[in-house]
Amino acid sequence: MMKEHPPHAKTIEVRQSPGKSFLFALPMMLLTLMMMSGGKIPADPQRLFVFTVTYLFFNLLFFLMIHTGKTDRYRATAFITYAILFIVSFISHMFEARGSMSLSQEKILLCEVPFCHLVIPMTLIPAAFTKTIIFPGTITGGYASIASMFTIWIGASLSLGRGWCSWGCFFGGLDDAFSRILKKPVFRNINPRWTYLPWAVLLAVVLSAAAFLSPTYCTWLCPFKTVTEFEAVTSFKILVQTILFASLFIALVIVLPLLTKRRTQCSLFCPFGAMQGLTNRINAFDVRIDPDRCINCKRCVTACPTLSVTEESVRAGCPLISCMKCGTCMDVCPSGAVAFHVRGTPVAGNRNIKRMLFLYAAFLFLAIFSGGTIQDGLSRIIRLITTGSMI
Amino acid sequence: MKRALKIAGYTWAVACIVVVLATFVGNNYFSAKLASSTGITISPWFSGGEIVGSIDHATYKTVIHRPVFDGLIGERKEGFIQIEWQPVTALPLVIEDGIDFTGDGKEDFAFRLDTAAGRGTLTPRNPSVIAIQTLVKVNQGWVARIQLRKVS
Repeated sequence: MMKEHPPHAKTIEVRQSPGKSFLFALPMMLLTLMMMSGGKIPADPQRLFVFTVTYLFFNLLFFLMIHTGKTDRYRATAFITYAILFIVSFISHMFEARGSMSLSQEKILLCEVPFCHLVIPMTLIPAAFTKTIIFPGTITGGYASIASMFTIWIGASLSLGRGWCSWGCFFGGLDDAFSRILKKPVFRNINPRWTYLPWAVLLAVVLSAAAFLSPTYCTWLCPFKTVTEFEAVTSFKILVQTILFASLFIALVIVLPLLTKRRTQCSLFCPFGAMQGLTNRINAFDVRIDPDRCINCKRCVTACPTLSVTEESVRAGCPLISCMKCGTCMDVCPSGAVAFHVRGTPVAGNRNIKRMLFLYAAFLFLAIFSGGTIQDGLSRIIRLITTGSMI
Repeated sequence: MKRALKIAGYTWAVACIVVVLATFVGNNYFSAKLASSTGITISPWFSGGEIVGSIDHATYKTVIHRPVFDGLIGERKEGFIQIEWQPVTALPLVIEDGIDFTGDGKEDFAFRLDTAAGRGTLTPRNPSVIAIQTLVKVNQGWVARIQLRKVS
């Protein structure tokens, strides 16, 4: 049964006045300026313009996050922009370096393939047994080296847990974007059993990768190869792989998010995401539902794009391990019952401080990690408009 | 106890912001440290394995990698050996090489590479040599992977 709004519902809002919001946003402005510029403001006018636009974009979003008290709306704007411009930037780089999006045998033999975080679960068992990484990339140096991606993954896991999937992953913004296009979902009910699928995929790819000493998810299943790079079709086997990953992209990243308004690739298939859920357990931040404030309206259950809030989890006072800390549930909660929380502290009280601490870690991660890519993507688009070519 | 937990919680939360900054500021340092402390390398199934010898032909050389049979535990029955010819600018139109990878003084296979046509011909002299797996032109030269099978 739905409870009445508690009398203190209005007082729990996390909105701030413009002046206070500016003060709270000031350290972010300084940190992003320092991190995005590397201590050196670009001298070239076009680069300066792109830098300024990116810098203002992030800081305006952060200011609005504080001022309005809404998290997901502004997070998603930055996150989706990142995903789109990542693709623009990555594809341009591929065309610049190789003349196409397809991976040649040469690049594989020379171990010049950029490493991506989705490979990490498959590399762990072989690395433990053989002290080698089963990927044709570079350990250090070069574009997207393995050690560099591992460092970023460790940093993200320690600071955000599975928040990585909503604040750091350069692919997540794609199904996030498609899940927002329709106002209402065509298919409302997804059997919760499907949430076990990513664990099954994780188990399958980890074991098969260990058995074959090959990153099987990347070779056969990764839908994001469709918009980044893929092996040139030179055999029937590669043709089957291409059909498989392209179909998965259409189904899991475009069609199903559109029809269900859920992030289906991230929550129902991604093996990295499943593994990343475990890091939620070793993280300072989580999301809590205050039972005293909850009016049992179930809006959070309906709105959660990752199926992490269920009726049982509402009763338990916290979402499932798969929670990506996107902030959707707290944005839709009419009574302010759902909020970011710092482990060890009481659920009630100091909501603003807890939210601010999480937002500082998460937004800073997103701004720094994506800043360079967004600038490059914007430069490519400007180049396309002015010269007719992105490369 | 509650107060101590609260202080620990907030300290941990602030430390997370520091971790984010350190991740990016110290990325090069941490990456290099991670690589050197773990001693991790690229799997020989991708890198081709360590170079164990080379044949000098005056203008160009043939580089021989170790046979790769590495499994997760122990060795596999199927593997390969990688051979390279470099530099690409000094390669003759036709290369003929006899390769002894077992180190017994006997040729294990002969390889004829037609650099103009991009065609390779393998003549096995050892039952463990099966077929040409890959033959690719790269920046520095040509790379061939020869499929091997362990013979008991």
